Amino acid sequence: MQQTKIPTKETLYCKELSNGLTCFILPKKGFLRTYGVLSTNYGSLDSRFQVPGAEIVDVPAGIAHFLEHKLFEEEHGNVFGRFAQWGASVNAFTSYTQTSYLFSTTENWQDCLTLLMEFVHSPYLTEENVEKEKGIIVQELQMYADHPGHRIYTLLLENMYHEHPIRLDIGGTVESVMNTTVEDLLRCYHTFYQPGNMALAIVGDVDPVESLSLIEEKYPSWDKEQVQIERLYPSEPADVRNAWVEETLQISQPRYLLGFKHEPVWQGVDLLRQQIIMSLGMRLIAGRSSTSYGELYEADLITDSFGASFNADPRYAYSVIGSETRDPEALHAKLTTIIDGLKKNQVAETDVERLKRHIYGSHLASYESFEYTANRFISHHFRGTPYHNYLDLLASVTAADVQQALIEQLNWDRSTITILRPVDIHD
Amino acid sequence: MKFTERELTKGVRLHLCETDKFKSLTCKVFIQQELKDRDATSTALLPLLLRRGSERFPSTLQIARELEDLYAAEFGADVLKIGERQILEFYLQMVEPSLLPQGEELLERGLRSFWEIFTKPQGPGNRFVDSYFEQEKSTLEQDIKGLVNDKRSYAQVRLIALMCAEEPYGIYKYGDLKDLPGLKNQDVFAHYQKLLREHPIDIFCVGQNLEGVARLLSSLIPPRQETVELAPKTQSTVAEARYFEETMDVNQAILVLGYRTNCSYHDDDYYYALLVANGILGGFAHSKLFVNVREKASLAYFVGSGLEGSKGLLTITAGISPDQEEQALAIIAEQVKALQSGDITSEELEQTKRGITGAMTTITDSPAGVIDRNLLGLVEGEYRSLDQVVEAIWKVTHDDCVRVMQKIQLDTTYVLKSDGSKEGAEDATN
Repeated sequence: MQQTKIPTKETLYCKELSNGLTCFILPKKGFLRTYGVLSTNYGSLDSRFQVPGAEIVDVPAGIAHFLEHKLFEEEHGNVFGRFAQWGASVNAFTSYTQTSYLFSTTENWQDCLTLLMEFVHSPYLTEENVEKEKGIIVQELQMYADHPGHRIYTLLLENMYHEHPIRLDIGGTVESVMNTTVEDLLRCYHTFYQPGNMALAIVGDVDPVESLSLIEEKYPSWDKEQVQIERLYPSEPADVRNAWVEETLQISQPRYLLGFKHEPVWQGVDLLRQQIIMSLGMRLIAGRSSTSYGELYEADLITDSFGASFNADPRYAYSVIGSETRDPEALHAKLTTIIDGLKKNQVAETDVERLKRHIYGSHLASYESFEYTANRFISHHFRGTPYHNYLDLLASVTAADVQQALIEQLNWDRSTITILRPVDIHD
Repeated sequence: MKFTERELTKGVRLHLCETDKFKSLTCKVFIQQELKDRDATSTALLPLLLRRGSERFPSTLQIARELEDLYAAEFGADVLKIGERQILEFYLQMVEPSLLPQGEELLERGLRSFWEIFTKPQGPGNRFVDSYFEQEKSTLEQDIKGLVNDKRSYAQVRLIALMCAEEPYGIYKYGDLKDLPGLKNQDVFAHYQKLLREHPIDIFCVGQNLEGVARLLSSLIPPRQETVELAPKTQSTVAEARYFEETMDVNQAILVLGYRTNCSYHDDDYYYALLVANGILGGFAHSKLFVNVREKASLAYFVGSGLEGSKGLLTITAGISPDQEEQALAIIAEQVKALQSGDITSEELEQTKRGITGAMTTITDSPAGVIDRNLLGLVEGEYRSLDQVVEAIWKVTHDDCVRVMQKIQLDTTYVLKSDGSKEGAEDATN
């Protein structure tokens, strides 16, 4: 078992089992709760793939999320009641790149962990229960459709990308959900839910040796041959699909989102380093400590919702900057000046050093959250980025790195604007 | 996770929980007042104004830079509503100083800056900076209007406003738009000074070496002469169940039902039974509402019930397709009836008790949770320990749940849905 000291001076235990499953265990002395999460390296992006000796498979959008719903179903009812007997809660979530199943409990964590591994590996799908789920998922999509933050983000990606599946909503569309079949679901299940494509993390007051032997003993036996999955993505042009898009929704004031599309050229340690550099850069633009924030707030062009983020994976990379605003056009004009100013050698060493202290503290504080910590171990593992080097990489970043990244990445020729406006109210 | 309590000066109590469990220091300050028209809106302006600048940190930028220098310390302010009290909250969270390069020095600096920012706003001494005041009025206006952006929260707030229109509890925690134009800078400042001088203040700290924190805080807080007595909450009964409908341009319809439980925190025989009964009805994924409305009938993605323990209200919320309102209302009514007629299995009872006690135990794994679980006790004037509450929950029987459910009365039903033609809430039944 590999042991690593994390920045809070606690020890992380890690091991890859003989069936290929990677396990992370972070003991937390004195805590009453145990959190466990089992994830597969499979998300909404994986809708076209091939295994050796078989045809290329195309499945409807939203299928990873559909599967996430269905794995809770058992022949007699659902798995919620079984976790409830120990007072535990169980849930799941799907992202662009992964699907995760989790529990949180203060009692019987060993039973919860065993059940988690068991139910994720026991699909019970019938024509009838798949049909029944469609009504529930459609209501989930409708809920998001009414949610302005979600709606504008989806719209931005839809117009940034031409072909790449990141342009589609994680849950798919009402139509793709209605067209999903048992066969589609099972094919994806059998392809992506192999232990070699999965990882498990436990955080709580647990003994690492006991945890690991429990996993080895109780993880469903795996005698099938594990196959190499080739994920296929369409070739994506460098430019954006639409440079300016608007839509209306029942909201109190307009929302503005500016997106920059980047070439996804980073892998491994470079990707993590780029994430750190860009998070500093984004804070220079949208952080409360930036002069631009004060300027925009004084001009009444942004609200508390003003923020910026860099999002990257070996398969995609983009940055997003946005806010609720009374005047999207005026905000866009000012923001253009601010970004162009920063690109012209205006990144100050003192600012970057101060922001590095902030990122250092935030990183330490993030280990207080069981969920965040466990999910970070797994997502960095899937992405192939060395999370344990985070603080060393942070120390190595300079103002010049940030300056250069802003110049290279915030390229107006690859930018797109999305605006949501309130619907006109006719009395 | 026990707190020791001491009075720093009249009406200012300090509660300390010394523990090395967390890698952080967390402090929260709660200032209580009655929930009142106009005052509620004035109070809601304070968190917005205080973050604009203080004597030593005269702008948002300088405050933010101080926080970054403190290794991502978090300072915040907000307004809470518990029962018929409005609470002004200030909080501080910083990484446990021993994990940071300059340790103890940072702790003292953090506490001093925190206290300064929330008690010494920038301005001439009798008012906030005029331009800040005017701008934050419009920020609050946008915040209140912005409630509509989250349809589920909007629907829940509308239900309470309609149901409790004649009671203080009907007031939204951030106040009312109609009060905003009339608010004067000097009056809001005076209101704020009065809160600091005369209203009950409770400071909770969780972390290590808290004696040092206590010494520093007591040196920062000036002595006070008096504390105001806050009025008890009002009671109300249901005359006739009411139904309201509001239309908007939305994809999903949201149903909210409000019940009066006729039971609250101090009703020893009923309060914990109500907690368990609410859990069986709609607190969990094994609950009746989730199983019947979602899993069996496929009508909703989210459906559940919640309890407000001070005022004693139970609400049920569901997001549904607009053409299935009748069906959803019928299934919801059946679930309430099932509980009232004793249709509760021993499994449901057991699972729910475990779920509630598990969730309560879990919150003591977070410093904010350790503090926040005392809020209801603070407002109700009676703290209860986790052990005490867990024991009370395990004592609840099947018959207790039935009895307490038989006391609840449906007061108001509210539906938000698309229809296209009308605006605003209208009473559709009476």
